[in-house]
Amino acid sequence: MKNSSYLFPLLLLLLFAACKKETQINKQPVVDNYIYEINGEKLYQSNAEKVKQKSAEQYISILYANLNKQSIPQNDLSQLAEIRLANGDKQMADELILNGFVNSPSISIPTDAEMRADIEGFIQQTFLRFFLREPTAYETFEIKKAIEEDPDMTPVLVYQAFALSNEYKFY
Amino acid sequence: MKRRNFLKKAALTTAASISVPYILPTGRLFASCGNRVANHVVFVLFAGGIRQQESVDQQYLANQGLATEGNVMNNMLEGAAPTSNLVYQPWSPILNRPLSQQGTLFKEVLYRQGPTGHYNGHTVAMTGNYTETGLNLNINPEFPTVFEYYRRHCDPASSAINAWWISEGLGPYPSLNYSRHQSYGARYGANYLRPRSIFGESGYSQLSGAQTYQPDDVQRISKIKGLLDQNFFQQADDLPGIQNTPEDRERIKNFLLNSMNAAVTPGGFEFATPGSDPSLLTGDLINISAAWRVMNEFAPELTVINTTNLDICHDEFSPYIDFLHRADYGVGWLWNKIQSHPVLANDTIMICMPEHGRNLESNNLRDANGLGAYDHTGDANSRRVFTLIVGPPDKVVQGQVLGSLGNPAAESIDVVPTIGHILGFEESMGGRVPGRVLNEAFV
Repeated sequence: MKNSSYLFPLLLLLLFAACKKETQINKQPVVDNYIYEINGEKLYQSNAEKVKQKSAEQYISILYANLNKQSIPQNDLSQLAEIRLANGDKQMADELILNGFVNSPSISIPTDAEMRADIEGFIQQTFLRFFLREPTAYETFEIKKAIEEDPDMTPVLVYQAFALSNEYKFY
Repeated sequence: MKRRNFLKKAALTTAASISVPYILPTGRLFASCGNRVANHVVFVLFAGGIRQQESVDQQYLANQGLATEGNVMNNMLEGAAPTSNLVYQPWSPILNRPLSQQGTLFKEVLYRQGPTGHYNGHTVAMTGNYTETGLNLNINPEFPTVFEYYRRHCDPASSAINAWWISEGLGPYPSLNYSRHQSYGARYGANYLRPRSIFGESGYSQLSGAQTYQPDDVQRISKIKGLLDQNFFQQADDLPGIQNTPEDRERIKNFLLNSMNAAVTPGGFEFATPGSDPSLLTGDLINISAAWRVMNEFAPELTVINTTNLDICHDEFSPYIDFLHRADYGVGWLWNKIQSHPVLANDTIMICMPEHGRNLESNNLRDANGLGAYDHTGDANSRRVFTLIVGPPDKVVQGQVLGSLGNPAAESIDVVPTIGHILGFEESMGGRVPGRVLNEAFV
């Protein structure tokens, strides 16, 4: 079992800062950190309207908001920014962060039974939640087929795919 | 005679045909680049600004007006430890023979030009070019890093998982895994990791409960993602930084999450301290411990790690000595670990060098023991460093000491071409690195 006593020496070492100028990270909020369009703002008519890539801070804060339906606390955002900075592969860092989010007790994800009881409704709600638009008929058909054909395709995996998609990285 | 010659040639040809497709422990067929001295290099930037006086000159407190000299780096250097006026907690050496006896010590090395700042010193050491770049600029270097030369010209797997840059601090250091050179850049960069962030408070509080996925689930995610991506006309391909292959990314993610949990499990994480005692850790030793975990897992061909805690010498001399002593232990510990690894043992060369020195004269600050502190503002003393090259006796000359005060045997910019020599990409660097290969160190 985990024993947090080993963590304390590591955490205490965070107080060490031999050359503070070189180890300090920016913990000040920047404009991009604020959440965009999570409170029922207008929807996109199509994904062609999304032409700008989200910054790292936008991606993290919007992802948190989409999954938890609340804005990310500043301390969490600072820690996540530090984690992202501490990894050279930013895609991997994003995936790690997403993996952390989806296992959080505060996350709001439908159960597998709920998804399978109304797959089309689940797909529509997931598109609205992540992409802020309605799915096309083709998208609904393809994703519904993927869910129906695979009993192990869970809502968490579908959410992961949406969060890692190219479209989700644009606005 | 002719028949004898024929038989001899036939035997040699047969032997060659058997030996050429030899599969190296790293899983590749034959080196795709030039001849190699060894298949693995660990470059320890023994950084934070270290004076020759307290390191290779072994003067201890002699410059503080106390007649006590001695060697506080008893894993890296040969020499008796101080016996009086101890301002550090001595640890018994972990090595039976100091590293200077297991390789060649370039005792006097010149950091010839440019500011003696930490970022500059790191940049010079990792690009093989002097730079005038201002302090602490959080931008990628102008010249290609050693990682990019290696990956572009000599990485048999063409994978970032073979090259790692592991730093103790954040600040500008994450920028050193690749340059902004247009012919090289992120696609040839190294994996970067700052263990204190990942395995410390931030990582633990945010990622310790992170979901891990089996390959089947990764495929399911990829399937839905693929469906979504085919309906979107833009690629999110301009993420800054290096990109691992999807397979390597999964390996690294699982490694990080497993390591995070191991760090809080008694005995789960080997620490570079006596008895693996976590209460004795410094930031530098956390970095070295985590670097070993990376090396043990992936057996990378090129690893660069650093220390930085010694920079406390700006304010306090006594803790500087203590950090120096502990970092030395960490380097010895790392070398011991390498010798226990089935792939790395006897096929790894380790190079240790400070990024720059420190001033000859102390500043006005005194610590609790009344000892003066030292800055690094570019005087001649702050341009004095050393380079220690350690390796198996059939590859590296053992017990050799080169250079003396006023007669430097090498320059800071020589490490990159030397690594190129070891890993076989020396010729491919062309005229981009002005330094020389430190051939004297090799058998």
